[in-house]
This record gives sequence, structure tokens and C-alpha cells, in this order.
Amino acid sequence: MSRAVKPQRKALNTVLAWGMGLLIFFPILWTVLTSFKTEAEAIADPPIWFNFSWTLENYFTVQERSNYFRHFWNSVVISVGSTLIGLIIAVPAAWAMAFVPGKRTKDVLMWMLSTKMLPPVGVLVPLYLIFRDLGLLDTRIGLVFVLTMINLPIIIWMLYTYFREIPVDILEAARMDGAGLRDEVVHVLLPMAVPGMASTVLLNIILAWNEAFWTLNLTAAKAAPLTAFIASYSSPEGLFYAKLSAASTMAIAPILIMGWFSQKQLVRGLTFGAVK
Amino acid sequence: MTASIRTLLGASALCATGLAASAETTLTIATVNNGDMIRMQGLAADFTAAHPDIKLDWVVLEENVLRQRVTQDIATKGGQFDVMTIGTYEVPIWAAQDWLEPLDGLSEAYDVEDILPAIRGGLSIDGTLYAAPFYGESSMVMYRKDLMEKAGMEMPEAPTWDDIAAAAEAMTDKDAEIYGICLRGKAGWGENMAFLTAAANSFGARWFDMEWQPQFDGEAWKTTLTTYLDLMNNYGPPGASSNGFNENLALFQSGKCGMWIDATVAASFVTNPDDSSVADQVGFALAPDAGLGKRGNWLWAWTLGIPAGTDAPEEAKTFIEWATSKDYLALVAEKEGWANVPPGTRTSLYENADYTAAAPFAEMTLKSMQAADPTDPAVDPVPYTGVQFVAIPEFQGIGTAVGQQFSAALAGQVTAEQALANAQTLTEREMKRGGYIK
Amino acid sequence: MSTKASRAAARLMISPSVILLLGWMLIPLGMTLYFSVLRYNLLMPGDNPFVGFENYSYFLTDPGFTAAIWNTLALVLGVLVITIVGGILLALLLDQPMWGQGIVRILVIAPFFVMPTVSALVWKNMFLNPVNGLFAHLFKALGLTPYDFLAQAPLASIIGIVAWQWLPFATLILLTALQSLDSEQLEAAEMDGASPLSRFRFIMLPHLARAITVVILIQTIFLLSVFAEILVTTNGGPGYASTNLTYLIYVQSLLQYDVGMGSAGGVVAIILANIVAIFLMRMIGKNLET
Repeated sequence: MSRAVKPQRKALNTVLAWGMGLLIFFPILWTVLTSFKTEAEAIADPPIWFNFSWTLENYFTVQERSNYFRHFWNSVVISVGSTLIGLIIAVPAAWAMAFVPGKRTKDVLMWMLSTKMLPPVGVLVPLYLIFRDLGLLDTRIGLVFVLTMINLPIIIWMLYTYFREIPVDILEAARMDGAGLRDEVVHVLLPMAVPGMASTVLLNIILAWNEAFWTLNLTAAKAAPLTAFIASYSSPEGLFYAKLSAASTMAIAPILIMGWFSQKQLVRGLTFGAVK
Repeated sequence: MTASIRTLLGASALCATGLAASAETTLTIATVNNGDMIRMQGLAADFTAAHPDIKLDWVVLEENVLRQRVTQDIATKGGQFDVMTIGTYEVPIWAAQDWLEPLDGLSEAYDVEDILPAIRGGLSIDGTLYAAPFYGESSMVMYRKDLMEKAGMEMPEAPTWDDIAAAAEAMTDKDAEIYGICLRGKAGWGENMAFLTAAANSFGARWFDMEWQPQFDGEAWKTTLTTYLDLMNNYGPPGASSNGFNENLALFQSGKCGMWIDATVAASFVTNPDDSSVADQVGFALAPDAGLGKRGNWLWAWTLGIPAGTDAPEEAKTFIEWATSKDYLALVAEKEGWANVPPGTRTSLYENADYTAAAPFAEMTLKSMQAADPTDPAVDPVPYTGVQFVAIPEFQGIGTAVGQQFSAALAGQVTAEQALANAQTLTEREMKRGGYIK
Repeated sequence: MSTKASRAAARLMISPSVILLLGWMLIPLGMTLYFSVLRYNLLMPGDNPFVGFENYSYFLTDPGFTAAIWNTLALVLGVLVITIVGGILLALLLDQPMWGQGIVRILVIAPFFVMPTVSALVWKNMFLNPVNGLFAHLFKALGLTPYDFLAQAPLASIIGIVAWQWLPFATLILLTALQSLDSEQLEAAEMDGASPLSRFRFIMLPHLARAITVVILIQTIFLLSVFAEILVTTNGGPGYASTNLTYLIYVQSLLQYDVGMGSAGGVVAIILANIVAIFLMRMIGKNLET
């Protein structure tokens, strides 16, 4: 950014970029605004932008009908739990692939990714039967397991690309100093990989939070996360735009806020080895 | 791990219902997100107050998702639910496979005999009840009295399809966003096919002849579909091919429909001034006919049943008795007014002067329900039972696939002839696969 | 540095992942293969007789099958084109100096956090609905007849919704790649009198190739199994106009409870997904080599 830029040019960029940003963000903004309207205001034509009643009633109605906090907790436990367990399994694998690559390392990696291409609907009934027999239906442990397996390939791949960027010389220097394998990982590798790991964790929490097929089909009441919460609002009777907006806002707000606060960390590592 | 999960469980239970006693049973209840069920959920405190040892967990889902979830669970004996909300289509099929606990030994006060015979018959096998109706419905014409008056017309109590077309034409004013008629267009056996199958009965059409041969290649279905398409293309709202019950309800409540032929339960929503901008202008009439002796109205009930193999059958039965009892109707009446009680299940309700005074649609609802006969739905004899459905397991799939074809015809993507031809081929295919025909 | 000992250690470290994923893949796959040759309908319990390839022949001759294949491809390619072209343009814009870049980035990234179900519900009801949707209001304000998106252009509408969700992802990766571009190289080209277009064509685009490959790979994985958006908005219709392969299998196996046919469909989808995977691997192999 060392190039000098004319202020006119900068102003134009600013206007354009803000315009695009607001356009992309608009559906979310509109949802949040609508959640504070009455049902009649929500469908008013011409639309009401800010001059409406700003009521919290929709939120109370939604909370009265569904136990938001239980769904919220389930979402937190499932997405964070699956990401952490995934990380524990993935770190050694990614380390080994990055530093002791074999002839087939790349094939193994691609195979792992290809397991994500299996259509979940095709294997729902088999998995449902297995879960029934293991008593895992409607449990958070069951969902943590499924989401771990679903996101494991992405975690391994992301970590692999970060680890590969760590210069081997450093490791060798450490080894000269007599560091063992454990020291190598804990004291040399991890600190260098922290930005990448943070990004991996964030991305996978987002993906797990938003996963809507398994979380809906393998749960009933006890373990149902926010994806199931929103499913009960998909077409209620009568006018429902405002209530739908309130429920939508409640479902996406936690992850949106988390995402915004951590977006620097998320973006910094979100390269998948594409940047050299 | 376990410790932290237990902490979390504790925390969420605390959020849910306060401190839990140790000897309690938890019932997991799967239900539809329809207004009456949501009301039941809201009033459940009355039940838990009387039964402090029973805790209720609600799973409220949109109709199609709910149906898929509970069917999958009961067929695989997943055991996730203790009480399931199911329709009159599922009950006989499931009961025949011993998937439901029989509801015998109900208390004297419950008064089984009071349940409307047409509904009770559909829920019993050899006299044993397998599910208790929560609300029952038929379909009827709901129309705007003010618009009819403006057009200088009057709606007969028992209109023909020609009357409907004439009224739709007279009321339509697209510039003012008033569409003469709103009908279901969203594909699904319980959505557009419920309406169209019932309408087909009045035009002398049927799904199958006595040899289970599909009948979509006949004249009667052609008349049915072209009448429907003409009405909707000329006088219907835009986007009709994705409108189901709920979408149409929203349209009618916001004053955009002149007429709406749909479930009788809608009557209490469209006449409720809290939600409806046209509450005091709604008139009711029987579903139309074509002079062939059958009307185009259906018969349906949402019921509560207990899956076989639940670990709390007694508690589940206690809950169902509560939710479908006369006392529950009185409770809703006390809290929300008589017009809002779940209709169409009990004879005594229609003999109750408070109810008939508060619900202007009561008489028409009862007449409509009595006009539908699931054992003899069509003009010609049929091998199946069910008015707006065919009570065979294959029907959900076939009905939805045919519904897609008719929905595509409404969207203008195929012609009526093509849609019927496709419907005929795909139904033949599935019936062959099912071994009904060679 | 790969001694025998470190190789053995490496294998040991990879094995938990490999074993878990292998189990995760093979056990359901085995069951799916087994079910696919049975007549097995959840609604008709019985002895589930062996029927050979009957399920496959029914699935492959299903009237919706060809449509589903084309729709799947159109959906994947449509979203990829929109997000990559749009992502490059947005990344170029965001890479320029401006005021409030951080906030703009927050705005642009937001759709990525939205659950597919929520985004489909919001788009369907509050924007695309031809009576009460915001687009309908806009059309009317301009004196036009409201367009019925989900009935007249169902697949295009779904592509639009999905592209909205994935645009931030593509933009962010492309932006990071762009920012890593050596600015001296660009300045040198500028001094040599290269036009902005040729600077983009010959310097930026080659530099972005890897990032584009990554975007294609990751998005394809998710786009092949787009499901919630279709379920919520169009139910695959009207007709088969927006039914993709995943949705067709859903209709067969979950809506009709025909586990046999659904499993056959699952196997077909797995084969097709593997063809795509091999194709992608070739491409990635070329582009991601170090």
C-alpha cells in the first residue's frame, strides 16, 4: 500500500466498496430489522425502513414457544466439541503428512477429502440404524462424533497446508539441540502453527454450527441444536415474517458475532495453502 | 467429558423447567407447527401441574419434516418419541403393522363414544382405537362477503364449480391485488394433491379403478385439472405453484383472496381479528360440486398416537387423554375463547350453544365433515379408502410425484395434457413396482 | 530426514485419522451396497427379499434422473462461476485503498455465517415471494409485474441463494492471495506501460490460479450435496426443475421410505462423486504441486 493514491480515487473506491458490502449484507440487515416489527409492518408495501414500532414481542413469542437456550447450548457443545476432538486427531496426521511425506501422501489427502463428497441422504438410514443400536440417537455425543468425521478431512487438509509452510530448517535446528519429537511438536511447531490452527478451529466451528442435515435427522428433543430450532419456524400458520425473522436472528446471531470478533484470525489463515 | 456434559445438561435443564425431581418420566412429544398444536404446547402447564412427575419435551416441526422424522423413527423402532402427531392416513397403515399402542381402557370421563363417528371409524381397527383425534377437518369455501356484495353476487350455500368460477371472475381486481381465488399449488400429497384429489371426486374422477389401474388418462381428470388451471391462471395470485395451506392463509388474512377453498380449521384463523384483517367479512359455503353427487371436500384429522415400544406407555396415554379430552376444549375456551378450540373431533362440541354462538363456521364445518365418506369417496367404486388420499403405503411417494407434475402445470412448465400423461406413466410404474398391477 | 524410524512414527500418527475415516466411509457404504440389492421399504416390513439390480434400474430410469444430473451440474457450475468471477471483482475492489476497509470486510463476510436453512427461508419469504417479498414491492414500485422467481426460474433462484452464501468465502481466499502479490512486480509492469487489463491478465490471474483451484475444490465438495436450500424453497419443483441428485435420493429414500431404491441412488451418487473427485484431483494435482 505504498503507492500514493489520489483522494478522488480513494473516495470512489470507498463508495463502491461500501455499496457492494451493504448490498451483500442487506438480507441479514433486513432480517434483523424485520424481527423488531409487528407482523403487519413486516409485509407493508412500501416497506418500512426504520420508522416502525421496534417491538421485542416476536422474541418473546419465539422464546415462549421454543426453548432457545437449550438449542443454543447444544449448538455450542456440538460445534466446539467436534472441532476440538477433530483437532486432536488431525494434528498428528497433518504433522506426519507435512514433514514425512511419502509417495502416496497426496493421494491419502485427496481420498480423505473425497469422503466428504458422499451424499449424506444416501447413508442416513444405515447410520440411523447403527445409532439406534448404539443408543446414540438424540445424544450430543453422537452428533459430536458425526460432525467430527464430517469435518476431519477439512481440518487435516488445512493443518497440512499450514505445517508445510513451516521451514524444515527450524525443525532440524531444534533436533540438533537435542529436542525430542514431543518437544519438536509442542515447542517449535505449535507456536508457529497457532494462527493456522485458530483459523481452522474457527472455520470448523462455523461449518459444524450450520450443519443442518445430520443435526436435524439424528436428534429429537434433548440434543437438538439451533438448526432444529429454526426448522419449527419454516412455515407456521398465517403471517409469520416477523417471527421468522426473530427466530432467524436468534439462530445466526451467536455465530455471526463470534465470526466478526475473530474475523482477523479467521481470514489470516483461510488460505488452504493457496498463498505462497 | 462426562462431567462437563452433565454440567451442561444440568444447566440446560435449569433453563428449561427449573429443578428436576428424580422420579419423573420425560415424554418426548413430536408435533406439527400448526396453530392448534402450538396452543396445546402453551397450555401444557395445566397438564404438568396436575402430573408433576411427568415432564414434557416438545419437538415441533414443519409438517413434511415431522412426517419424515416420525415415520423413519417408528419404522426403524428408533424409540425417540413417546407421543407422535400423525394423520388419518398413517393411523390405519401403522396400526395394521402393530406399530401403535392400542388406546384401550380410556377413562369413563373421556367418553370415547363422543368422538365423531366418521373420524373414529378411520382411527379404529376392529373396534379398537389406535390414535385419538386432536382436531378434525374437512374443506370448504371461505369467501369475502364484502367483495361478493360489491360484485352484486351471492354465494349459494352449496355452490357448483361454475358458481365458483363466476364469483372468482367478479371479485378479481389485480390492480388492487385482490385475487378471486386462492388454492393450493405447492407439490405434495398433503398439499396440492389433497385439494385436487378431493376436487377430482366431485368431477367423477378417481385414482384407480377396481383393478388398481391408474385413471389419469380419463376425461374426468382432464376436466379436474383444466378447471383448476383455468381458475388459478385467470384469477389466482402470482406464485401459486409454491403456495400451500400456510401461504394461502397469510394471503387470505391480509385481504388478498376473494375465495379460498381449504381446511375448515382455517375458519377460526381467518375470523380471528388479532391475525386477520378481514375477520368480520368471511362467509362460508360447502365445497363445490359438479352435479354428480359428490362434493370436493376432504376429511382429515391430526391425531395423537403412541409408538409401540415406548418406555412410558401409561404416561403417554395420560397425556393423550388430557390433550384430546372435553376438559381440554373447555380449557382452551376459558383461556382463548370458544372460537379457538380445536374443532371437528367431538359431537358434544357441536351441541354446545356457547361454541356455536362463538364460531359462525361451526355448522358448515360439521356439515362438510358429514358430507365426506372415506369408504366411498368417488362417484365410481374404488378399491381404496380415503377421500383425499389412497390409504396404501406407496401413496405418499406417488402422490407427491403426481403433485410435482400438477404444480409444474400450474407454473406453466408443462401443459395439462403432458402433466396428466406423466402422472399416468409414473403412477403405473410405481404400481407395477408395488405389485398391484402387472 | 525421512528415516525409517520417522516413517514408522508418521504412519502411527496418520493411522487414527485414516482408520476413523475408513470406518466412517466403509461401514455405511457396505450397508448401502447391501440394502441397494434388497426390496426394502420401511413402511412395508417383511423379509426384504434380494432383488438384484431392480432398484438400480428403477432409479436410473426414474423420470427425474436425467434432469437431476443436469441440475446438479448446473448448480455446481453456476455457483462456481458466480462466486469466482464475483469474488475476483470484489477482491480487486477490496484490495484498493479506501476508508473503513475493516467494516466493509465484515459486511462482505457475513453471509458465510448464516445457516443454509435460515438463508433459504429468508430469501424465499422475505425477498422472492411474489406477493409480500421485497423484490415484489420493488417491481411494483417500478411499475412492473412482480416476477415469480421460485416458479419461473427455480434453479436460477437457488443458484443465486447458494452463490450469496459462498461469495464471501471465495472473496476472502482470493483477497488473501491478491494481497500476497509482490507489489514491485505490479509497479514495474505499470512503469512499462502495461494496461490495467493486461496487468490483471498476465500478472494477477496467474498468481490467483492456486487460490481459484482451492475455491473450486472446497466449494465443489459442498455444492454437490446442496440440500437444505432446495428443501426449503422449491421442494425440487415445479416438476423436476430444481431437483438435484441429492434431492432425488431424498425423495426416493426418505419421502417414499424406500431404503432399497434410496441406497441404489446413494451408490450411483457415490460413483458420480468419485468421478468428479478424480477429475478434481487431476486438476489440483497440477495446480497445487509445489
